[in-house]
Amino acid sequence: MDQFSPATKLASPAIIKTRRLRVLGTAVTLLDQVKETAETDLGFGLDFEVLDFVPCQGKAALNPNTYDVYDQCFHNLDIVWFWGSLQPIDTQRISAWDKVSDLTKRGGISRYAWRGYGDAPVKKLYVQQSDQLGSEQGRYISMLPTVYNLDSFGYDARIFGYTQRNAESWSWLLDPRAKGRIALVDEPAIGIFDAALAAEAAGEMNFADIGNMSVAEIDQLMAILDDRRRKGFFHTMWRTAEDASQLVRNHKVAVQSMWSAAYGNLGGEAPHFLESVPLEGYRAWHGGMSLRRGLDGAALDMAYEYMNWWLDGWAGAVMARQGYYFSVTDPVEAALTKDEWAYWYRGEEAQSDLPGVQGQTVVKLGGRRSGGAQLDRANRIAVWNTVMDEHNYAARSWTRFVDRVRNDAP
Amino acid sequence: MKQTMQKRYELVCDVLRANIKTGRLPPGFVLLEGPIADLMQSSRAPVQMALKILEADGVVQRFPGRGFVVAGTGEEPVRQDIRALDLHISDEIDDALQSRGMWELVYDQVEEAVASSLIFGEFRIIETELGTHLGVSRTVVRDVLSRLSERGLIRKNQSSHWIAGPLTAQSVRERFAIRSILEPAALKLAASAIDYAEIAQLCKRANENAPEFSDTEDFELALMETCIAKAPNVELISTIRNIQLPINAANRALIKLGLPRDQIAVDEYRSLFALIERRLIDPAADYLENHLKILAQKSLARLKIVAVVVESKLAVPYLTQLR
Repeated sequence: MDQFSPATKLASPAIIKTRRLRVLGTAVTLLDQVKETAETDLGFGLDFEVLDFVPCQGKAALNPNTYDVYDQCFHNLDIVWFWGSLQPIDTQRISAWDKVSDLTKRGGISRYAWRGYGDAPVKKLYVQQSDQLGSEQGRYISMLPTVYNLDSFGYDARIFGYTQRNAESWSWLLDPRAKGRIALVDEPAIGIFDAALAAEAAGEMNFADIGNMSVAEIDQLMAILDDRRRKGFFHTMWRTAEDASQLVRNHKVAVQSMWSAAYGNLGGEAPHFLESVPLEGYRAWHGGMSLRRGLDGAALDMAYEYMNWWLDGWAGAVMARQGYYFSVTDPVEAALTKDEWAYWYRGEEAQSDLPGVQGQTVVKLGGRRSGGAQLDRANRIAVWNTVMDEHNYAARSWTRFVDRVRNDAP
Repeated sequence: MKQTMQKRYELVCDVLRANIKTGRLPPGFVLLEGPIADLMQSSRAPVQMALKILEADGVVQRFPGRGFVVAGTGEEPVRQDIRALDLHISDEIDDALQSRGMWELVYDQVEEAVASSLIFGEFRIIETELGTHLGVSRTVVRDVLSRLSERGLIRKNQSSHWIAGPLTAQSVRERFAIRSILEPAALKLAASAIDYAEIAQLCKRANENAPEFSDTEDFELALMETCIAKAPNVELISTIRNIQLPINAANRALIKLGLPRDQIAVDEYRSLFALIERRLIDPAADYLENHLKILAQKSLARLKIVAVVVESKLAVPYLTQLR
């Protein structure tokens, strides 16, 4: 590279300081603490650009020269990969590749685990011939698997009762007991599945393949949702975990889509607002990191260093304190305290108050993670967040629905 | 051709009949083919036909001179230039008379705009806006719309509005499935009609990275024109063109949004042309089928970008998005 040529060598200390890696992603993973620690550990600077899911995908596909590493979810990889914006990752340069969970490498934590409908990461993981993505194992991958979770909905047990603990149903998201106090997550590749699981569990419709809905099924689902909307079932739609927490703290919802991180911030409502363990199974998602096409030389080396750093355990421990699991677990176990590991991954009773990302207590002594151990939860995947074939059609219908909820349209 | 002429003589007939009825063309007025054709901006044949019909209806009659006279009792023939009479010609008929063929001049740009909009959802075409935008009459607009409808790009909804789109994944998938059946078959049919010297020249230019072969679209067009369209089956070729239309337009719309060049697809086309150049048509047909299957998957994935981009980039004033 040019910085090693004699003419620039004199100024080398300044150049080293300005070595920077640009990371585009969402608030799920791009936290300030992660940035600070990574910069210290790696010795180069990081520029985190944090966007909402949808604009983040758009930028990754259409402006690939604005970032080096793309930190997002497998389910929107389709768009960015086939737009030609990314390059394959060489697994031989990922030191912990052998330790990465079978959940992504093979599609499930065991042969008997539910595979789930939709785009399980394994279907998009390996770069196949002709630059296609598929599940046939190979040396090159499209995205390095990192953080993931099994999502469900949250509910007010004072309304729905405490008796159905661990046998809740997605149908509650359309339940008349919560009329006027229901909220869904506003992201068409996520919220639509919460709604679809609800409609199917309520016996109001059946999908041939809930992970790849037809136009007619999307129409039917949106008609069911719009009917409920007209009857006043929905309070609002939310976009961030903090918005979701706030709706609970302000007594606005009795049941809603929830993300794990939102449960740590429910204040006085925490004892009553419970994370469900749906009979029908979880809606799963998996995050990861990809490399921009054209990234090469020293910048590419930095990107690999950064990705390897993520698998070292420290970052995985930070993710665990938000309730997210990680693709490589041994180093995460080493980085967490014994109590933290027992609570977050093993589903055991908290032996002490446990801190969240900012150090505040998010789990009280004696608390127990809903759904139990990581392995129990990951066994029961109903559907993966997916950008379906009819995503354009679904996203447009969804946006119209969300607008009507927000504008309280007739 | 025949249909156009028929319509035209009907129009001439209508104008004459209406003006006779109102008395602007008085009984005894001498009707000559030449001046009428001139007035109506028509050839003589439709005028002849119109006069024969009017004669059969008893509205005009022959007389001992050249041409016809407006029927009436015992009037002397009135010889006057019909162009000086200020005949009443309704706007619609006037438009129609003056605009035969006009629609063809504006059709392509409308087709492109409509076809590229399909991926962005469902649109209503506002006929008056289309007329204003193109600076043409309602008749021309109607001709354009009926052609779009014939090509399967638009349809009428229950309120009789013209609707375009949306192009769904299902439609894309089905169109590619049809293509991978028809195009390899057409290629085989075309085998003996292909100009292999032309293909050799094309391969040479493509391998030199000539500017006319810079993108997949260039290769696709070349494949269509130099090979597939040589198949001796007009219906087959027309079906293939109609099937391709919305997906090709969608692809062009994606390129406008910044879809980068697909080097792998370009390489596939080079291999395909190399097979055709060597007259290995059977393997070429199989290769084409496989290429189309890969392209189908890529297209489905690429189209998903549309959900995350601003839609107004390709907007034209006569297309109103339906919410």
